Amino acid sequence: MKLNIEGLLVYFPYDYIYPEQYSYMLELKRTLDAKGHGVLEMPSGTGKTISLLSLILAYQKTYPLEITKLIYCSRTVPEIEKVVEELRKLIEFHSKETGEVNNFLALALSSRKNLCIHPEVSALRFGKEVDGKCHTLTASYIRAQRHSDPSLPSCRFYEEFDAIGRQLPLPPGVYNLDDLKEFGQKKGWCPYFLARQAILHANIVVYSYHYLLDPKIADLVSKELTKKAVVVFDEAHNIDNVCIDSMSVNITRRTLDRCTSNVETLQTTIQKIKETDANKLKEEYRRLVEGLKEANVARVTDVYLGNPVLPAEVLQEAVPGSIRTAEHFVGFLKRFLEYLKSRLRVHHVVQESAPQFLKDIFQKVCIDRKPLRFCAERLRSLLRTLEISDLTDFSAITLISNFATLVSTYSQGFTIIIEPFEDRTPSIANPVLHFSCMDPSIAIKPVFERFQSVIITSGTLSPLDIYPKILDFRPVTVASFTMTLARTCLCPLIVGRGNDQVALSSKFETREDFAVIRNYGNLLLDMSGVVPDGIVAFFTSYMYMENIVASWYEQGILENIQRNKLIFIETPDAAETSMALEKYQEACENGRGAILLSVARGKVSEGIDFVHHFGRAVIMFGVPYVYTQSRILKARLEYLRDQFQIRENDFLTFDAMRHAAQCVGRVIRGKTDYGLMIFADKRYARADKRGKLPRWIQEHISDGSLNLTVDETVQLSKHFLRQMAQPFRQEDQLGLSLLTIEQLESEEMLKKISQMAHQA
Amino acid sequence: MDEEPERAKRWEGGYERTWEVLKEDEFGSLKATVEEILFQSKRKRALESHGQVRLGMMRHLYVVIDSSRTMEDMDLRPNRLKATLKLMEAFVEEYFDQNPISQVGLITTKNKRAEKLTELAGNPKKHLAALKKARDAACVGEPSLYNSLNLAMQTLKHMPGHTSREIVVIFSSLTTCDPANIYELIKTLKSLKIRVSVIGLSAEVRVCTVLTRETGGTYHVCLDESHFKELLMFHVKPPPANAQSECSLIRMGFPQHTIASVCDQDSKPSFSMSHLDSTSEVGLSLGGYFCPQCHAKHTELPVECKICGLTLVSAPHLARSFHHLFPLEAFRETPLEELPADRFCHACQGKLKDKMVFTCPFCSGVFCTECDLFIHDSLHCCPSCINSQHSN
Repeated sequence: MKLNIEGLLVYFPYDYIYPEQYSYMLELKRTLDAKGHGVLEMPSGTGKTISLLSLILAYQKTYPLEITKLIYCSRTVPEIEKVVEELRKLIEFHSKETGEVNNFLALALSSRKNLCIHPEVSALRFGKEVDGKCHTLTASYIRAQRHSDPSLPSCRFYEEFDAIGRQLPLPPGVYNLDDLKEFGQKKGWCPYFLARQAILHANIVVYSYHYLLDPKIADLVSKELTKKAVVVFDEAHNIDNVCIDSMSVNITRRTLDRCTSNVETLQTTIQKIKETDANKLKEEYRRLVEGLKEANVARVTDVYLGNPVLPAEVLQEAVPGSIRTAEHFVGFLKRFLEYLKSRLRVHHVVQESAPQFLKDIFQKVCIDRKPLRFCAERLRSLLRTLEISDLTDFSAITLISNFATLVSTYSQGFTIIIEPFEDRTPSIANPVLHFSCMDPSIAIKPVFERFQSVIITSGTLSPLDIYPKILDFRPVTVASFTMTLARTCLCPLIVGRGNDQVALSSKFETREDFAVIRNYGNLLLDMSGVVPDGIVAFFTSYMYMENIVASWYEQGILENIQRNKLIFIETPDAAETSMALEKYQEACENGRGAILLSVARGKVSEGIDFVHHFGRAVIMFGVPYVYTQSRILKARLEYLRDQFQIRENDFLTFDAMRHAAQCVGRVIRGKTDYGLMIFADKRYARADKRGKLPRWIQEHISDGSLNLTVDETVQLSKHFLRQMAQPFRQEDQLGLSLLTIEQLESEEMLKKISQMAHQA
Repeated sequence: MDEEPERAKRWEGGYERTWEVLKEDEFGSLKATVEEILFQSKRKRALESHGQVRLGMMRHLYVVIDSSRTMEDMDLRPNRLKATLKLMEAFVEEYFDQNPISQVGLITTKNKRAEKLTELAGNPKKHLAALKKARDAACVGEPSLYNSLNLAMQTLKHMPGHTSREIVVIFSSLTTCDPANIYELIKTLKSLKIRVSVIGLSAEVRVCTVLTRETGGTYHVCLDESHFKELLMFHVKPPPANAQSECSLIRMGFPQHTIASVCDQDSKPSFSMSHLDSTSEVGLSLGGYFCPQCHAKHTELPVECKICGLTLVSAPHLARSFHHLFPLEAFRETPLEELPADRFCHACQGKLKDKMVFTCPFCSGVFCTECDLFIHDSLHCCPSCINSQHSN
């Protein structure tokens, strides 16, 4: 259907539209008009992706000069594929409606591992291996060497691409990863490099977060993307953690050992080159004296995306003399490594700020701040000069050099924590140096600065105001949409008491309480008797789950549960978990019924959807607070308090609730789906917790279901499940939660929608 | 609808149910309650069944009754098993009333096993006796959907192709304990053209959804006793026949009932065939139905002749199946405002209050919702039409 969104003609590839999709597009359009950033929350399963795509596509078509590119960032490869499929549908619909031949280029980009078509390289199992192998075949100096020595192996796909493919742009169309591979096979070009080049002129790019947020990758891939682009971060409820992870560095003894061997390799290579080709090193030296002017020119003329690892001051200056020659630099690295080793030899926990660390390093081994800052850039140059092909081996030393640059550049936003052992095993020495980023805005700042509009969206972003705060940006629109439903297909219940009136809670003091554990067990037992097919239960941590399950086993609760359903348990081992998951789904499928015990923040809670019968109920045992004794977390909380005036408790609750919302949100994946959401902790009833749940869950929590006993919960669930089992057809939704174009354009509905928007 | 008084009674019944009633009121007018959707679907069911479709009039139906542990649940009064058996008795009577030339058999499943309560037979008495007896049986273990379907299938697959083969499962448990992959069995059932319908007593179970969807049956979950009854009675009506099912002529006998009085000298008392297998009541009788082919005596109709296998029915039996074939046409739904001043239901003479009224397409008689349902469900003819015929 064709929609009129405040004067913009939007082609929408379905005959029906949800009212919230309409409001979503409206808000999105306003954001684009204002050329600002936006934070939008809409429940999963209400067609967020297609609304986003159709509006932005329409915008691009109507105002081709305003927006030239859409960068859609998602989390996983399957999600990326899903987006591309939606896009394909949309573009087909668009060309059918307008009769124009499609001139849009849209493609997905993923790692070499997913795109490589070289028969030997693509057979490798790990991403790092594929990258390394690819590098040995395609690095520029290797190819230069091949001119003199044709016997060296090469990748014919890359050669072919380099010879012909670079000149010819990818024809318009929609390409998912398989399409790219197929296209590459047909032409004999390397799909990965083809895609990397094509994203520069593509209209729509779909790829993973890391291509924009991780400075190492962003520098390679996304540097040259145009400024007039819209960036969308989908499923962005964890974006601050992604940012922090991409900037943090952990150094263990093993890293240092590998660094030492790296340095040795460097040294011997330098020695060798010196004997054969001394000119090369001299040439490099000359370049370094001239400084990093090129990069500077590029940034000033606004060609590149900023890189937080390459601070602006570095660009202005030449590389300091002390590390200019290769030998000096290697010596410098050695000293630095020795210093780090000595630091790791501590027996107590050390926490210090970056300036403290710099002062200490100056006193002990006379390393200045300035050369440290150039470390990353200098190493890159050296590796290029030395023509070292297999870069994967040098990941350790690259890590260290990045650390050196970061620690000397940012005096704020980072903390250094050295722990001689892990908390769980205080007797085993396993020293780790955490260089931990506490400010997610550092990694994402270049993105906000460079691109015209950045949209952060997810099913669970509540409370909305905290994201702009911690990511340090000013959004022009902040909105949360609810699900309009023809029937209330979600049923959030807060269980506060057991049948014996003992308060249920996972808080620390009552954690070991026998009565609480038994009541939790009874809850699960009773629910397993009334909920059909699959139940997913989430615990706050692996340790807590282990304790509870062991105790249930002793009390015989587990045995009783198994009479109703099979039990599967998530473990930290990915292979084991996916096996359990597979069997769980099988049991749900053939009527045996199953329970999956898993952990909030685990793999299951983040990426797995439990549609329809795979999840008829989800039980959240306790409030999933993070492990508050962690020093990294403490440092971060302190930072948040000092810098952004966010109280520790607020942040902890926010973090716990967004994970709880993620967990319970797993069961509702659309309007025809239904599921129970059981919050088994009396603390959920408090306004500060409840108020932080997404609006679409909150509005279904009635006052009557705030502090239920186990028995009442079972009765309510029974009733709910019966109601939901009644036949439900599309016609029942029409006009209420599903609109045709006529219905949408009726006065009454428009009024209703604008009313809904006001509530938001 | 007869639901209102039922509800009020239950409201008095127990504390745990009071909120059920309250909850629905809370939603207000914004959201359509499930009740409303239900009502709509009921109307639709009435509408759907109309139209000229071939119906499977000769039915072979197995009813599988779950007798597992979960049947002891008290959410149906007095418990699920007793409620089910009571309704089943009504069902069996109603079934033979409306489908005189069909047969029914009963299967129960518990403890991972399935057993036949009664074989396929056309006589309600045996079934009723078996149902009465089943009341005292204990509910233990888990049901096995696979075993019960398999058991029913073993008999049904030998039934002639022109009859409709059906299984109705009354399923209370949320799990099933199967010895093999049930999806294979579903495929077999589908290929044998056996329709499986399920009435769930607790919640929607995935495997039942697939089972009914694949075999072309229906799947419903009951809300309470009255809804349960409604769902069960829905299966009284013959389903549309499969397009591919065979057509064949069936030989039928219409025996005359010879009544002989004791004072008649010529009459001799004789044993009837139906006494052959019942050991309890041995009795000689004078009159009976004599098979036109082999002259064997039967006391009741309809029956399959024990001697020659001829189907024996009486003409009224066939006539009773008649309305399935030529159902009363659906009434037109019109808003109340369009009606002229005289706003009374032609059937119950009550004042029309609902927003919608129903008009007969032939005589333009106007009826209220309740009467519309009653006319279509029970009367099968329009009272106003008949009235006008008489006056003519």
